[in-house]
Amino acid sequence: MAERANLKSLLSSSIIKRADELERVARDILDHPESGYREVRTSNLVADWFKSNGMEVQSGIARTGVIGTFDTGRPGPHVAVMGEMDSLIVPGHAHADAETGAAHACGHHAQIGSMLTVAAGLAESSVMSGLSGKISFMAVPAEEYIELEYRESLRETGEIEFFGGKQEFIKLGFLNDVDIAMLTHTGGEPPGTFGVGGSNNGMIGKTIQYIGKAAHAGGSPHLGINALNAAHIGLAAIHAQRETFRDADTVRVHPIITKGGAAVNSVPADVRIETYVRASNVPAILNTSEKIDRAFRAGALATGATVKITTNPGYLPAKYDDQLTQVYRHNAASLIGDDNVIDLSHSSGCTDMGDVSQLVPTIQPTANATSGNGHGVDYLVENYDLAVIKAGKAMGMTVVDLLADDGAKGRRIAGSFNAPMTISEYLGRMRGFRSEATYTE
Amino acid sequence: MRSTDTSSMRAVALHAIDGATRDLITDAKTVYSTPETGFNEHKTADYVKQRLQSLGFVVETGIARTGMKAVLRGAKPGPTVAVIAELDALRVPTHPGADAESGAAHACGHHAQIGSMLGVATALSAPELRNALSGNVAFIVTPAEEFIDIQERLALRASGEIEFLSGKQEMIRLGTFDDVDMAMMVHTSAGKGSSALSIGGTSNAHVSHQVRYIGRSAHAGGAPDYGINALQAAMLANTAINAQRETFRESDVVRVHGIISNGGASVNAVPGEVIYEGRVRAKSLETLEPIAEKVIRCYRAGALAMGASVEVQSIAGYHGLIQDPTMQKLFVGNAELVLGRDSISVVSASQTHGGSTDMGDLSTIMPVIHPYTNSASGIGHGHDYLIEDYDRAVVAPAKVMAATVLDLLGNEAQTARQAVDQSKPGMTAEQYVSVQRDRFKTELFEQS
Repeated sequence: MAERANLKSLLSSSIIKRADELERVARDILDHPESGYREVRTSNLVADWFKSNGMEVQSGIARTGVIGTFDTGRPGPHVAVMGEMDSLIVPGHAHADAETGAAHACGHHAQIGSMLTVAAGLAESSVMSGLSGKISFMAVPAEEYIELEYRESLRETGEIEFFGGKQEFIKLGFLNDVDIAMLTHTGGEPPGTFGVGGSNNGMIGKTIQYIGKAAHAGGSPHLGINALNAAHIGLAAIHAQRETFRDADTVRVHPIITKGGAAVNSVPADVRIETYVRASNVPAILNTSEKIDRAFRAGALATGATVKITTNPGYLPAKYDDQLTQVYRHNAASLIGDDNVIDLSHSSGCTDMGDVSQLVPTIQPTANATSGNGHGVDYLVENYDLAVIKAGKAMGMTVVDLLADDGAKGRRIAGSFNAPMTISEYLGRMRGFRSEATYTE
Repeated sequence: MRSTDTSSMRAVALHAIDGATRDLITDAKTVYSTPETGFNEHKTADYVKQRLQSLGFVVETGIARTGMKAVLRGAKPGPTVAVIAELDALRVPTHPGADAESGAAHACGHHAQIGSMLGVATALSAPELRNALSGNVAFIVTPAEEFIDIQERLALRASGEIEFLSGKQEMIRLGTFDDVDMAMMVHTSAGKGSSALSIGGTSNAHVSHQVRYIGRSAHAGGAPDYGINALQAAMLANTAINAQRETFRESDVVRVHGIISNGGASVNAVPGEVIYEGRVRAKSLETLEPIAEKVIRCYRAGALAMGASVEVQSIAGYHGLIQDPTMQKLFVGNAELVLGRDSISVVSASQTHGGSTDMGDLSTIMPVIHPYTNSASGIGHGHDYLIEDYDRAVVAPAKVMAATVLDLLGNEAQTARQAVDQSKPGMTAEQYVSVQRDRFKTELFEQS
C-alpha cells in the first residue's frame, strides 16, 4: 500500500509540473477541430507528442489513429488509456472551423488532454519501475457516428469497414491483447464532479434513399412521383411507432433529411434520410429497426416510389465494469472528495466504448467540467483543470492500482470479467447488422 | 294547329298545377316532417303511394324495399318518359327538421321532389292531356339516393334484400327501367344567382371503400409494445392520401374524403380494429379507377407501416352524369315559356359537379336530365339547408317538367322518338349491371 501511495504521489507531481503544457495541447486541438477519419492534424500532434515523450508509436491506424506504448518489460496486464480525436460538425460553435463547421462540441479535445496527462505522469521512470505489464495510449478516430455518406464512401474503397474508430481498432487487432480499457469523457452536471458507472445505449445507422419521378411541380405534378412526400409519410409512420417503444429500452429514433429535393419547382425524385436506431439492448435495436424499415417502406408504397434502405452496424450498448469502477471511484474521491464523485445513470447516447465494453472490462467516467448543451453550439469546457489534469490523475492513479504489486489487481479484474463475446464473435455480429434492400411495392 | 294544341295542353297542365299548389306544398312539407334514411323510407313511401292512388294510379310498391312505380298510359303507344322523385333523407342530427331518434333530416331537399313529381302526375292525369299523349309517363319513386349508411346497406346486401347500394341502381337491376326510354327529375339547390332553375353539366362518378384495419389490441398504458395500433394505421393512410393530392388534376374533379366509423373500442386499449369509410370521386369511371388504386395503395401503406393487416372492400358507387341535350333544350325552352326568360341558367356541359347522383347511373343507359331549382338557403347536406321558396322548389319544377313531357309525348311523340334516336347511351341495362357487379371487390392485404 505504501508503495502504491508513493507511486501515485510521484505520478501526481510529474503531472503538476506539466499541467500548463497539457492544457495547452487540449486547447490547441479545440481550436483545430477535425471530424472523424479526417483528424490529420490532431493525429500528427499526438504522434509527435508520443515520440517526444519516449514512446514507441504506431500511427495511421484506421486512417488517423495513433498508439503510443509504455512497456514495463515485466509481464502483467495490458491497460489501454483512450482519447477520441474527432470533433462534431456544429457550425456556429465558438470554436468551429470556419470552412468545415467542425467543432469540439463534445469535448473530445479534453480527452486527448487527459490521456496525455496519464502518459505525462507515467513518463516518470520511477513510477514505471513500480509497475508490471504495459500501458497503451490510444488516440482513436471517429467516435461521433456522423457523415454517413462520407464514411460509406470510405467503406466502399476499403479504407475502413466500420464507421467508429474503436471498431476499426478492434478489427485491426489492436484490442487483442488489451485487458482493461478506460477513457474520460467530459460532462456537465453537477460542475466540479466526476461521474462513474452508468451505461449507454447501442445503435445502428441507416441511410434511406427514396427514388421518385421528377416532373414540373406546377405544370404536371400528376406525372411525378414525389419522393419528399414518400419521406414525409415514412417519417410520420416512424412517429406512429413510438407508443410501442418500451421505457426500459430507451429507444431513440431521430432522422434527418440530408437531401430533400433538387429544385422547388420540380417534383422531388431523390430524397435521402439518415437515422439512428438506438436502444439499451440489442434485441430492442433489432425489433425497432424492423418497425422503422416497415415505416420507410410505407412511404414508398403510398406514393409509388422506390426506397433503398441501407443499414450499417453502429455501436453496441455500453456496460461499465463494476470492480474497475470501484478502483477508479476511490482515486477520483481522493482528488476531489467523496461527495464529488457521483453515480451515472443510463445514458441514451451511444459510444463505441460500448463495443470495447463488450470485450474487456471498461470504464468511461465523466469529468463534469462543461457548460452548454452536449453537441450544441454552446458546449464549452470551462474547467480544464478537472477535464484534463485531474481526469488524467484519476486515470493514472487507477493504472497504478491495476499494475502495481505485479499487476495483481489488474489481473484479478481482467480474470473475473465475463466477456459477453469474443473479438471474432463481435466482428461477426457487427457484420451481421449490415443490410441493403430496395423496395418497389 | 299543332303548336296551338301544344300550348293549350300546356295551359291545362299549368292550370291543374296552379289549382293543386297548396296540396303539393303540403305533400313536400309532410315528407319533410318524417325524414327517413335510404331503404327505410316506409312512412314516406306509404304517403306517396296513397297520394298516387288518390290520383287514380295503380301503384307497384316494394320495389327495392320502398321504391314504387305508377304508369300513366297515353291514348296511343309511344315511348315512356319517367318522372322521378327520391324518397330518402340524409343523416344530419343537428338539422332543425331532424328526426330526434335517427338524426335523419331532409338536408338535401328530396321532399320537394315528391311534391313536384305529384304535381306532374296531377297535371297529366287530366283526361284531355292523357288522350293527347303518345306513350306513357312512369312516375318512379326511388329509395336511397344518398350513398350513406354503408354498413347497414351491406347488411341488406348480405341478406339478399338488395344487391346494389342505391335505389336507382337496384331499380335498374330489377328491371324497373326496362320499359322506360328517358327520365327526368328536378333537384333543389341553395340559390346561386337569381334564376329559379339551372341545368347542364355533369356530376362525379364515385366508389366507396370500407377499409378495415386489423391490428392487435393491448393495454395502451401497460403494454403498448404488445399492441398493433390500427388507428395509427388509418391515420397514416389519411396522411398518405393527402400527400397524393398534388397529383390530382383539376380537370378530373377528384374528391377523396373519408370518415372513421370505428376508431377504436376504448381509449385505454390499443385499437385492434378500425374501420375507415372512404369515398373517391372523379368525373368519370375511367378517371376514377386509377385514382382509386392510388388511394388503396395509401390504405396498404398505413397497414404496412404499423404491421397491421388491412381489408379493403370496394363498393360500386355512381357513374358520372351525362345530361341529354335534346331533353335539356326542351326543359330550358319550357322554363322560359312557363316561368319567364331569365328563369333558367345553363351550365356548360364540361362543368362537373363535385357531388354524385345515381341519376348518373341511369344516364349510362338512357337519356336523362337532372336540373336544379334554386330554392334553398344554407349549405347542401348541412344543418342549415332549408327550402325557403316552396313555389320554386315544388310548383315551378312540376310545371316545367309537365310541359316538357307534353312536348316529348305530344305530336305523336315525335320529339321523344327523336331524343331516343339521337341519344347514345354508353351501355344496356344488362351491361350496366355487369359493370357494377365487377366493381365490387374485397382485397385482404395481410401483414408479412
